[in-house]
Amino acid sequence: MTIDPETLMAYADGELDPVAAKRVERAIAADPALAEQVAAHRRLRTRIAGSFAPIAEAPVPERLVTLLSKPDNVVPLRPRARPRFDLRWGAAIAASLAIGILIGPMLKPAAPVRVGPTGLVASGDLARALDTQLAATQGDAPIRVIVSFRDSSGAICRTFAGRATSGIACWEEDGWALRRTVSGAGEARTDYRQAGSSDPALMAMAQDMMAGAPLDAAQERAAHDRGWR
Amino acid sequence: MLALLPRLRRFAHALARSPSDADDLCQTAVERALTARAQWQPGTRLDSWMYRIMRNAWIDTARARSRAAQTFVAEEVGLTVGDAGDRAIEAAVELDQVMRAMARLPDEQREAVALVLVEGLAYKEAAAVLEIPMGTLTSRLVRGREALMRQLGEAA
Repeated sequence: MTIDPETLMAYADGELDPVAAKRVERAIAADPALAEQVAAHRRLRTRIAGSFAPIAEAPVPERLVTLLSKPDNVVPLRPRARPRFDLRWGAAIAASLAIGILIGPMLKPAAPVRVGPTGLVASGDLARALDTQLAATQGDAPIRVIVSFRDSSGAICRTFAGRATSGIACWEEDGWALRRTVSGAGEARTDYRQAGSSDPALMAMAQDMMAGAPLDAAQERAAHDRGWR
Repeated sequence: MLALLPRLRRFAHALARSPSDADDLCQTAVERALTARAQWQPGTRLDSWMYRIMRNAWIDTARARSRAAQTFVAEEVGLTVGDAGDRAIEAAVELDQVMRAMARLPDEQREAVALVLVEGLAYKEAAAVLEIPMGTLTSRLVRGREALMRQLGEAA
């Protein structure tokens, strides 16, 4: 039985399904040269990964960080028929690039996020809504808190829905850390996913994060009174 | 914060021929991503999207660039060689050696190696970033690895 080099490499990388892997293992058992090739693949992988690892651990050069914090210097505004976008936008996107989420394209001048030491943190109206609103009594507020719960670390998290951004924020030392965001309902746009209690993707994410049941109205009020700790 | 940047820089170093080229590439990719941000689909992987942007930027710039040998200056990577002791020096020398070996690979092999061995992507993910079939990815990857083993003195 011959094992082609691609299959042997895939075996070394753990990329084969169990049946194919078994077949390779039998061949290896019968041929020490194959075993040595697998070992060589793994050594190379370890070496390459190890030699580039310091780059990911080194501080990012200032000019790249600046790029993300001051996108007005670098984002070319094309003269085509697009409304001039709010520069805060760029800043927010830059931050979201960094933490792997994207804030909806409807950010209002009073940006609902700021960049904290570990990621995006709610600010302005969003922070106020998260601080003060109770899911049961918020009436017709522009940003609505849908559900509050504790995550597995015990932090209070709140799912919210707004025009610009909907998401999940959890209370940390620094404020409401945005764990997930999706584009909000928008104002004049109809092609947008409807935000709100029925946003299924967001509710599924909340479900995944949730330890136990959502807070009921009394528990939510108690958490509010304790400063969300 | 800025959680993806270190990985993007690492990927840029795996593609580019020198640390300063790598940070230029990283800058270009971030700029392009900012400009094209509306094209990113929420719910899909941002890192894959960024890898793809960077890879395309690298193709655009690297192929226009002359292939003249470049001086590798490991300090630029952020490794402070001067007073950081033997381990840092060893790390810098090792990186320099591996980058030189990577630089000798054909582009199509280098990008496959960069995504799988440096960035740790699964074959499927790497093939998706490069928009090539799995079979193409594995054949480029195996050839790239064999070449690296020869150059870096690893018996295959």
